[in-house]
Amino acid sequence: MSAPLQTYLIRPAGKQSVIDLREMWQYRHLLATLVWRTLRVRYQQTVIGVGWALLQPMLLAFVFTIIFGRLAGIPTNGQPYPIFVLSGLLVWLFVAQSFNTATISMVANSHLITRIYFPRVILILAALMTALVDFVCAFFLLVLMMVWYGIGPTIGVVYFVPMLALAMLTVFGLSLWLSALNVAYRDIGHVMPFLVQMWMFLSPVIYPSTLLPPKYSFLYALNSVVVVIDTSRWAFTGGPPPAGWMVAVSCAVAAFLCASGYWFFRRHESTFADIV
Amino acid sequence: MGGLAVDARELGKWYVVNENRFRSTLSEKLGRMITAPLRRSADAERYTSPQAIWALRHVSFQIEPGKIMGVIGRNGSGKSTLLRILARITSPTEGSVMLRGRVGALLEVGTGFHPDLSGRENILLAGTMIGMTPREVRRREDEIIAFSEVEDFIDTPVKHYSSGMFMRLAFAVAAHLEAEIMLVDEVLAVGDEGFQRKCKAKIRETALAGRTVLFTSHEMDSVRSICHSCLLLDRGKVLRQGGVEECVAEYQRSLAAS
Repeated sequence: MSAPLQTYLIRPAGKQSVIDLREMWQYRHLLATLVWRTLRVRYQQTVIGVGWALLQPMLLAFVFTIIFGRLAGIPTNGQPYPIFVLSGLLVWLFVAQSFNTATISMVANSHLITRIYFPRVILILAALMTALVDFVCAFFLLVLMMVWYGIGPTIGVVYFVPMLALAMLTVFGLSLWLSALNVAYRDIGHVMPFLVQMWMFLSPVIYPSTLLPPKYSFLYALNSVVVVIDTSRWAFTGGPPPAGWMVAVSCAVAAFLCASGYWFFRRHESTFADIV
Repeated sequence: MGGLAVDARELGKWYVVNENRFRSTLSEKLGRMITAPLRRSADAERYTSPQAIWALRHVSFQIEPGKIMGVIGRNGSGKSTLLRILARITSPTEGSVMLRGRVGALLEVGTGFHPDLSGRENILLAGTMIGMTPREVRRREDEIIAFSEVEDFIDTPVKHYSSGMFMRLAFAVAAHLEAEIMLVDEVLAVGDEGFQRKCKAKIRETALAGRTVLFTSHEMDSVRSICHSCLLLDRGKVLRQGGVEECVAEYQRSLAAS
């Protein structure tokens, strides 16, 4: 009559199995609810509401266009600066927001971690999904700009979604390491916003990647965000596509971060409730 | 084969008591690592020997499906630690527990509630967090609201609720959780006397509905009236295990002796 009961064996940390995708699937509703909760609370008491997801990229694009486009005169391989910077900003804001939220997610949700069981990685996934929703909203701005400038999408559009997935995997991998470390060492959470700012300057958000001397290309490729932004520019603003080998290097970096991060995270996950 | 619902073997949990003193920031830890060779041996002793206690040691017990086991013991005996291990909030240092069935933990009320969301929204949020699917929550929503007695304010943000209203709603959500194995802390019974009676009745109803239950309580009457077996803990070790009357008697003896 009844379905077979699920069996679970609780063992000391370090002896539990690491991969449990079936469990992730069981908790999919919790993931959706957490994303819904964040969005609902964020827009609950603001007049602007959803507009905030549009306001931030718009204002930044405006300021950057004046300072870096007009005053500093950064060359952009022929693309109009406003759309050049916006296409980079959308990707960057997604990376920065998801990363900042995910890194402190364990500590910020300590009241949940110490009282209920759920796979803690769900908190990181919720941060990624929330940032993705913001990205999709802001994307309409880019479409508007494309219409304004009369620029059509290129074949790069096909590659954009996998590249966005690459950005998500990179953030995911880094967050696994840092969110776990942040539980034990709180100063990591304080230093992160500063490091993220540095990361922005190391990525081609306000300048094109072609500005960089070729001998540093390999180092540059270790920053996965580079190829994602280049693909965004290729797809939507008529810029050049990223080099295939750089994409490969970035994918390898992301894969390594995810695999090593997941191992580290799951190994220490059950100690979070004791030390957070 | 028949399968036990809960099979715990040699559970132990070890806590480092003064961990935070020398672990809280990365910069401190690195600094200490660098100055280690320069430190005198007396100082070294103080830093490298953490003080630890065994909150649980050599705890083993079995619960058959559909039976209710009461866990009793004084404060600090390890009851909460045991529940937290079974609820998978923390992991044991040694030993293992085999669980057959979904586990529902009613250890604290109000977990998962967000102050800016309405009562109705929080029912969905908290319900999903403790393990119900959105469909289950929606099916039970009316029952939950009726039980909580906050119908008139169900759509206002919970930060405007009085603490009594909040606890009633929180308990209502938790009480409608259904799982094959339930971990219940009787401390849950909240509110004024009338509502407390309602809570205890609901806890009893949950327990007697054929589920496997681990029930902690300080009230021997509750334990006597619903539990099939009993586990008495004292300072992390099992003092006695088995029939309810013997355990309760031993417990009362140890209370009188102190």
